[in-house]
Amino acid sequence: MSSESVSEVTEELSGEAAAADEQEEVAVSNSAKRLDEEGDVAADYLEELLDIADIDGDIDIEVRNGRTYISIVSEDEDNDALKSLVGADGEVLEALQELARLSVLTSTGSRSRLVLDITGYREGRSKELLKIAQEAVAEAKETGHDVALEPMSAYERKIVHDAIADLGLVSESEGEGSNRHIVVSVES
Amino acid sequence: MLAEALDHLVRGIVDSPEDVKVTQKNNRRGDIIEVRVHPEDLGRVIGRQGRTARALRTVVNALADEQVRVDVVDTDRRR
Repeated sequence: MSSESVSEVTEELSGEAAAADEQEEVAVSNSAKRLDEEGDVAADYLEELLDIADIDGDIDIEVRNGRTYISIVSEDEDNDALKSLVGADGEVLEALQELARLSVLTSTGSRSRLVLDITGYREGRSKELLKIAQEAVAEAKETGHDVALEPMSAYERKIVHDAIADLGLVSESEGEGSNRHIVVSVES
Repeated sequence: MLAEALDHLVRGIVDSPEDVKVTQKNNRRGDIIEVRVHPEDLGRVIGRQGRTARALRTVVNALADEQVRVDVVDTDRRR
């Protein structure tokens, strides 16, 4: 399940409050140091969890576009223990990201929008999402009808909204909670 | 290991980590892990609409071999 605060942020990004988000981006870019600190705090938090659970994984921190990205990867392709931290449909990954963000809030007093990835799950998934967006756009153009997609998390909807906009069509989120999904429409 | 992992996860998100107590109990139905925190940290650990407690349960169960129950105990109410 997607988190509420994430979905609020995402709706802002794709919706009317884009100006507010731009302001936020400027504020964030002014504090690259804070983003570094955020990455360190969250990485320490996650690293100790891996130690306790005796799971192998390398943690990388990257700051780009005013956001902190943390990824946990393994050289061992069959690292099932690390994969269990992704879970079905990334459920565990979302939970860990949520907790890592809270650890930053507790230790720095600032809200974090950090993105956590484990074993490249988000990276692989975003390629799938681009394909889903392309197919939906093609279908909408061909049929002239709206195309409803499967429910997705706020993070994934953001990726798909952006891809659809790049392809020149309009999309909106409909439905509530775990049923929230994207509908692609042909611009009138 | 599960109790230790949960202890770490909770300590990292509260204002009074020294007041975090995590105990693991076994009964016939399976394991129960109880979390106690400073009353002022209770909201932090439960989260809006129980979201944080749910995240903690999700992670602990991902590390567990068998389903584990995680209870956040409201110590204030017990008095």
